[in-house]
Amino acid sequence: MKRIYAIEELCLNCRLCEVHCKTAHSLSKDVFKANKYEEPTPESRVTVYGNNFASAALNCRHCDDPKCVKACITGAMTKDKTTGIVYVNENKCIGCMTCLAVCPYGCIKQGKAAVKCDLCRNENEPACVKNCPNHALIYVDKGGEEK
Amino acid sequence: MSVNYIPRRFTVVRDKELCINCGCCVRQCSNECHCFADDRKTVISHSADCVACHRCVDLCPTGALRIEKYVCDYRENANWTPQYQQEICRQAQTGGVLLSGMGTPKDYPVYWDKILLNASQVTNPSIDPLREPMEIRTILGRKPEKLTVEKKGKSTVEMPPQVILETPIMFSAMSFGSISLNAQKSLAMAAKELGTLFNIGEGGLHPDLQPFTDRSIVQVASGRFGVHSDYLNNSKIVEIKIGQGAKPGIGGHLPGEKVSVEVSNARMIPEGSDAISPAPHHDIYSIEDLRQLIWAIKQATNNKKPVCVKIAAVHNVAAIVSGCARAGADIVAIDGFRGGTGAAPTRIRDNVGIPIELALASADQRLRDEGTRSQISLVAAGSFRCSADIVKAIALGADACYCASAPLIAMGCHMCATCNTGKCNWGIATQRPELTKRLNPDIMYKRVVNLITAWNHEIKEIMGGMGINSVDSLRGNRLMLRGIGLSEKELEILGIKHAGE
Amino acid sequence: MKYIIIGASAAGLACAEQIRKEDKDGEITVLTKEKYLPYSRPSISSYLKGAVKENNMYLRKSSHYTSEGIHIVTGAQVKIIDRKSKTVKAGRKTYPYDKLCICTGSKPFVPPMKNVDGKENALTFLDLESAKRIKRLANPRTRAVVIGGGLIGMKAAEGLSKICKSVDVVELAPHILPSILDEKSAKTVKKHIETEGHIKFHLEQTVTEAKSSKNKIISLILKNGDEIACNLLLLAVGVRPETELAEKCGLEVSRGIITDPATMQTSDKSIYAAGDCTVSVDMLDGSKKIIALWPNAVNQGIAAGSQMAGGKITINKSFSVNAIDFYGLRICTCGLINVQGAKYSDKVICNGDRYKRLIFEGGRLAGYVLINSSENAGIYTNLIETGMDLSSLSGNLFDTPNPFLFVKPVRNKLLKGELDL
Repeated sequence: MKRIYAIEELCLNCRLCEVHCKTAHSLSKDVFKANKYEEPTPESRVTVYGNNFASAALNCRHCDDPKCVKACITGAMTKDKTTGIVYVNENKCIGCMTCLAVCPYGCIKQGKAAVKCDLCRNENEPACVKNCPNHALIYVDKGGEEK
Repeated sequence: MSVNYIPRRFTVVRDKELCINCGCCVRQCSNECHCFADDRKTVISHSADCVACHRCVDLCPTGALRIEKYVCDYRENANWTPQYQQEICRQAQTGGVLLSGMGTPKDYPVYWDKILLNASQVTNPSIDPLREPMEIRTILGRKPEKLTVEKKGKSTVEMPPQVILETPIMFSAMSFGSISLNAQKSLAMAAKELGTLFNIGEGGLHPDLQPFTDRSIVQVASGRFGVHSDYLNNSKIVEIKIGQGAKPGIGGHLPGEKVSVEVSNARMIPEGSDAISPAPHHDIYSIEDLRQLIWAIKQATNNKKPVCVKIAAVHNVAAIVSGCARAGADIVAIDGFRGGTGAAPTRIRDNVGIPIELALASADQRLRDEGTRSQISLVAAGSFRCSADIVKAIALGADACYCASAPLIAMGCHMCATCNTGKCNWGIATQRPELTKRLNPDIMYKRVVNLITAWNHEIKEIMGGMGINSVDSLRGNRLMLRGIGLSEKELEILGIKHAGE
Repeated sequence: MKYIIIGASAAGLACAEQIRKEDKDGEITVLTKEKYLPYSRPSISSYLKGAVKENNMYLRKSSHYTSEGIHIVTGAQVKIIDRKSKTVKAGRKTYPYDKLCICTGSKPFVPPMKNVDGKENALTFLDLESAKRIKRLANPRTRAVVIGGGLIGMKAAEGLSKICKSVDVVELAPHILPSILDEKSAKTVKKHIETEGHIKFHLEQTVTEAKSSKNKIISLILKNGDEIACNLLLLAVGVRPETELAEKCGLEVSRGIITDPATMQTSDKSIYAAGDCTVSVDMLDGSKKIIALWPNAVNQGIAAGSQMAGGKITINKSFSVNAIDFYGLRICTCGLINVQGAKYSDKVICNGDRYKRLIFEGGRLAGYVLINSSENAGIYTNLIETGMDLSSLSGNLFDTPNPFLFVKPVRNKLLKGELDL
């Protein structure tokens, strides 16, 4: 499956991926409304760590054998059999955050329900990848092939 | 300093309504014009150090930023303009030579804008470049005085080394040091894809550019940085840099603190030592001395590489070009005074040298008069802003053109002209790693390729309109040019008629 | 091949699904004494407070079982395992097996108290059925008392506080949540719960006696003589492994069912056990204990399932990791937290309502307690699990853990995975 990978050497620490992730996961899908006016404020699924000298955006790896899915106590966290996307059913999730405590990459955020990257499920290319100004995020197969 | 004698130049206007406080501008501005307020959430701007590079404007996801000229009127004075007053204040403060980057911003006449091109009507047909072949391939190198052929028609003349370009546009010299490695790499990749050449400048060859040396022009400048046998032999053309359009007669000085490990390796000088390019080549004091250096380079390269001599366009440029040609140069590059630079003394940049249009026309005419024009190649440099400028230059007599500013703009340069500060927000004219990584060669080389490809299309279109199907037929074809609003003398030097004649 | 699994919660379901992954044709039957298809037992407190609806509590869609070919028998209380004939009996039916897995989980432990047993408003809190009964009984006039200040008791108290007039918690230990918190952090948590949930605590207390009328408890008398009004009593003192079946059929049992720590095989070669009913070996200190936590149960279920189907998956790492929240206060704990000894050391960072305690064993991380600072806790968990030498880290361990905690080669692997870019 195609996954998002971050290239530290190219990351600018501009954090536009976070802005566009929020927008993509908002109700309005509008960059102003999503980031300024929408309540509750949508959470970004991607987080940039580091500083201007070395930074990288961290996204869910959608592991082949995801620990979060195994640890989920409600069956809300599942790995889609066909697409391989690991996602949360927000109606089932009770926000216990056991997934957060077992994710070795630190890719799950706490919210009312667990918040994590879903590779923008209905889009060809995730919003963060599409909007990265320096191509520091790539959306490729494990072999590194694009599309 | 409590009194600021110089008003700031720009104001950053932030539309609070649109700003989402994402902080992108805060993290992107190397001049530190944006910051978070004390609440660590609200972004505010202070404009003191804004250079109008537009990094923040272009990256702002909501378009909340705008750069405005800061208008602060002085009492009107056509002589003591605000600019002179500010420069005086700056010098009164520092006691130093004023430095600037890029080409001169002064309002000297741009002759390209006063030359009009011809097109075919009725008496000769125009050509549709989409339907018919259109040749813009350009061949540089010394041509034999005359061709002798044996009975079967085969040439008996030994041809000196030639370089084939798929477009008459080359990338001019920008050294590793003045621009970042990523910028050089982008140009190198673009040159490879376009089938043209990039010039690595006088700063030596970074090992990362090794794969692109077959598309490179290497420079031998007065500092002789990084020059060795492999350096010369792996290139396509060897260029002796005598002068640079933006700063004729001036050498260069790269302070020791900027000579990092990588720069020191490329330049082959000790780390931390000053890299001084003397104003003259200390072994060239005459045309005869130049001849010796050309000969030495040809020996070192086994006569396999064309040797180019690059000079700045100065007052007696025609005689100098003629001398270079006689000294054995295969190619002569003339750099006009509007050419760019990483750093030059402002007074030199803005006052020394002549425009490329006039220099090119007079040099071409002089070589024709002497009967040597057909033997050597002329390359024009010094600010080509669009494909029409290139067509006009070729019609004035250039074989090919050197472009640098245009590809830099394609890579993000906004002509903020503060290259000399080393804080280029677009990662071009800087060596700071957190800035250079902003320029991803994989993205930028495509933009440069796109630009030149577009220009190629336009050149073909313009040539087709003139009824010309090969760039060779355009070269020196001054009948295709007409001046507009030019004086008799200017028309005489340019060798063109006035519009309507 | 016929597989029988007793119990259909975390371990049972994981076991069944793992068997199906490795054996496409085997006949898998899961026997559960409950009336429901596998559901999330830990969610019952959320169900109680109305945060989750019943139809969202089921772990899988019912169509999943048909498509996977997992036969789930609800309401099947297994009475006996006959090891000789390799059958189990549930109700009137007998199920033959080739491989059997016992995933019976825990049963509530009820300490002896006078006049409590059999009262209709004295309930335990472990499954959906009991949650439903409590929900029926609780109303805005109810004065509820929870005995036990552990994880189950506190979650129940939180749920009840949203419905009832008052909630009292009686706990024997000097602080609440003794299994996951140390004294200092427990105080912070207690204060938060008191202010947010208006729960009243009676620490270092036990209930000695209950007063009742018409088979209903009306008040409780504590050890110190206090009397507290009560018309709903929740018994959540603790749980014990449900080992009755295993004991009866003669399997080796101590506190829980004894299994091979890697393969989950019991003393009978064709019987496996997984989940809360087994004894686990904590990888961090080698001690044998009951790790009654969901991720552990799932891992054991997967290992048991794989072994039963002839696969290769084994358990190599068992340790406790737990995350829970009370009124928005998030608590995350992992590894060894209540350890003593010269080889352990710890460091606490306390900043407002954020509390972070890391426990070290020499140069390695052995456990953590995070309150309101559990961001990216999984990275700590991973440090504990892999036993990484902390001196090889480049960042500050006490910041929010992130990829820049690690040196570049490790970090690159985190960011780019197996990609060579």
